[in-house]
Amino acid sequence: MTGSTGDRSGPGANPAERPLDRLAPGDSGIIVRLSGDPATARRLMELGLVPGSEVQVVRRAPLGDPIEYRIRDVHLSLRRVEAANVHVAPR
Amino acid sequence: MSTSPLVEADADRSDPRTARRVAILGNPNAGKSTLFNALTGQRQKVSNYAGVTVEKKTGQCTLPSGRRIEIVDLPGSYSLRPASPDEVIVRDVLLGLQPDTPPPDLILLVADATQLDRHLYLALQAIEIGRPVLLAVTMMDAAETRGLQLDLAALQQALGVPVVGLAATRNRGLDALRDLMDRDIEPSQLRFHRWPPFVERVVTSLEPRIPRHPLLPERGRHDLAMALLLDDGEDPVLARAVPSEVLDDLRILRRRLDDQAPGWRSGEVEGLYAAVDAAVAAAQVTKGMTRDPTRERLDRILIHRIWGPVVFVLFMGAVFQSVFAWSVPLMDAIDWLVGQLASAVEGVMPAGPLRSLVVDGIIAGVGTTITFVPQIAILSLFLSVMEDTGYMARAAFIMDRVMSKVGLSGRAFIPLMSSFACAIPGIMATRTIDNRRDRLTTIMVAPFMSCSARLPVYALLIGAFVPHRWVGFVTLAGLTLFAMYFLGIAAAIVVAWALKRTVLKGGKPLYVMELPPYRMPAWGSVLMTVRDRSLLFLQKAGTIILAASVVLWFLASYPSSGPEATATRARLDAARDAGQVTRVAELEHQLAGTRLRESFAGRAGRLLEPVIAPLGFDWRIGIGLITSLAAREVMVSTMATVFNLGDAQDDVVSLRQTLRTAVTGNGARAYTPLVGVSLMVFFALACQCFSTVAVVRRETNSWRWPLLMLLLMNTLAWLASFVVFQGGRLLGLG
Repeated sequence: MTGSTGDRSGPGANPAERPLDRLAPGDSGIIVRLSGDPATARRLMELGLVPGSEVQVVRRAPLGDPIEYRIRDVHLSLRRVEAANVHVAPR
Repeated sequence: MSTSPLVEADADRSDPRTARRVAILGNPNAGKSTLFNALTGQRQKVSNYAGVTVEKKTGQCTLPSGRRIEIVDLPGSYSLRPASPDEVIVRDVLLGLQPDTPPPDLILLVADATQLDRHLYLALQAIEIGRPVLLAVTMMDAAETRGLQLDLAALQQALGVPVVGLAATRNRGLDALRDLMDRDIEPSQLRFHRWPPFVERVVTSLEPRIPRHPLLPERGRHDLAMALLLDDGEDPVLARAVPSEVLDDLRILRRRLDDQAPGWRSGEVEGLYAAVDAAVAAAQVTKGMTRDPTRERLDRILIHRIWGPVVFVLFMGAVFQSVFAWSVPLMDAIDWLVGQLASAVEGVMPAGPLRSLVVDGIIAGVGTTITFVPQIAILSLFLSVMEDTGYMARAAFIMDRVMSKVGLSGRAFIPLMSSFACAIPGIMATRTIDNRRDRLTTIMVAPFMSCSARLPVYALLIGAFVPHRWVGFVTLAGLTLFAMYFLGIAAAIVVAWALKRTVLKGGKPLYVMELPPYRMPAWGSVLMTVRDRSLLFLQKAGTIILAASVVLWFLASYPSSGPEATATRARLDAARDAGQVTRVAELEHQLAGTRLRESFAGRAGRLLEPVIAPLGFDWRIGIGLITSLAAREVMVSTMATVFNLGDAQDDVVSLRQTLRTAVTGNGARAYTPLVGVSLMVFFALACQCFSTVAVVRRETNSWRWPLLMLLLMNTLAWLASFVVFQGGRLLGLG
């Protein structure tokens, strides 16, 4: 299901939109919407991953997962499966 | 709105009944504990919230006016819509649902000046509840170093609550904070988020159906209604707050909202963050440098692709070494002191059952309990320094991938690792895991890690039954020992996997984790944590361990005059009269053996024999299995006593020899190497340690988990030994 938030035009409207886990370290983007389970999406947003905020990929963990992101001056570690539900417009 | 939310208090400040309750609330790493310590000093105590193992820290503070206030340091939280047991407690305290903690008269909200973008979210949620809030902005010095300038008056204006800036390291702002706490603070008149009308209508219709509660302000009722609507029906505290028909209606309302407006839950978050952004924009004079050079420099090594794991392994080696080895002198010292105490008592009290109870039951039990303390203290010292500095999150970041394979988070690694020394500090260390199911899973598998108490047993059995032979560049003995450790790890993986798919299934755990800025540990609070953890263990688990130790003493000592014991005693008296010194020593050992064999424990060993015979164990091993409930290594001295060797632990060589040549009633060899292996497998997998059971009982606050652990581990141990022994016999190894 796609309980989308902050996105009035529906998924896929922005051709440049990509899941956060696809970004490479050093890349950054603006969060467009969150998909997946609504309660989980809500929690991710409470931690600062709100649509409109800028997020930057800092580095991958030594074994490739999870990934460190910088958002709202806070550094968060997200597993790939979690980051896949955060959709960003790359910059 | 008045420009100042402050009103001079005219209540009688010396009246203890009006003692104001202040709750410190804030994100993890916002500087909450530092502020709590600065305000309360040594006047604090640590306990647990009723019914859960969340730590409750309370303290007292005297304000300039002489009025005393009670401060509770709430667990660090990201949100008042809870996602962990800690956050549930915070919500319950603030909404007046926590029975042992009345809601605060004032919320002292702590936010880091360099992370207002995120920390103010919780502040706005707290203001929304309708209780008076006082905002303390910490790390003002760190902000200034970076060139970040804040206009706190503007922030006060934007939030409608008094704001004070702090630099806790130099105690800056503390006096101003104390002055503010002395005044009466009104709740903010501002609202930061409005739900869409269709959600608001649902909430308004719910409000009158929530029973009135003297501790809950009107806006709090609104928030409770909202909490009920947002909860997925998993929260037992919330469920108890309202009649069941309201819960049924809630389920329908929630489903209707999900259908009509799928994104309705997140509206509040977006609304509050928009208000956060506005407040930060108003308060920030200059943004300054947003980079954190210390973090960048340290992270470049500590979570580097190659250096990160290298440093982590070295660090873990140091932790393991200290829990495992550095605690030995301390534990020996405790042993010595307990021994001195025992001989002192023996010198004062006349020989007899009472002295035996005091020395072998009570003092031995107290000794057992205290010997755990060095390991617990050393491990909590490391853990608390790791938490304080921010390295704990990095360690979890490195290990998360590995632990995710068994359905756990990276935070489970350290408790499991420590369990190789002893499961008790390991189980206590699971408090750093915030997800309840993950924490329980970790607790349930921790005792599978081969602890140091199993080593003497492995050493005895390997010495007795494993031939000295080289296999490549290792000995067969070394390989066998490795196999036992490996067996425990393999069992832990399988059981964790199985638990996560059965009894501990469910929920949608989020593994998002903050990597906080690096900080110097506050040594005062580190030492306080170490002290509190050790004391909590002594008080709570210690009583159970002591009681069980006395029960075991009784079982192994009574009845003390069976037919054989009486006969042996007569022969001993005769030998004494005749002055046959060697004969006396021999008979004393024999008497100890006879008494144990004829005691309740001895009889239980015989009763146990049919159950353990399929594993290759006889009744003598059965006695050892019963007495080793006190501690696994007791197996060694019990076997020595059973075989009339006295409990001479330094005479392991002759015990090995005795085990090899022991015979059964009909003269056959009692213990083959296959029995030795079967017994080692049993020790590797069985839950025999009642200290572990006691600490699991304490940490999970119920008998359900320790009983499940006993059942699960012992069934598994029995099956594995059965397969080893019977399989080995089929292959002709018996």
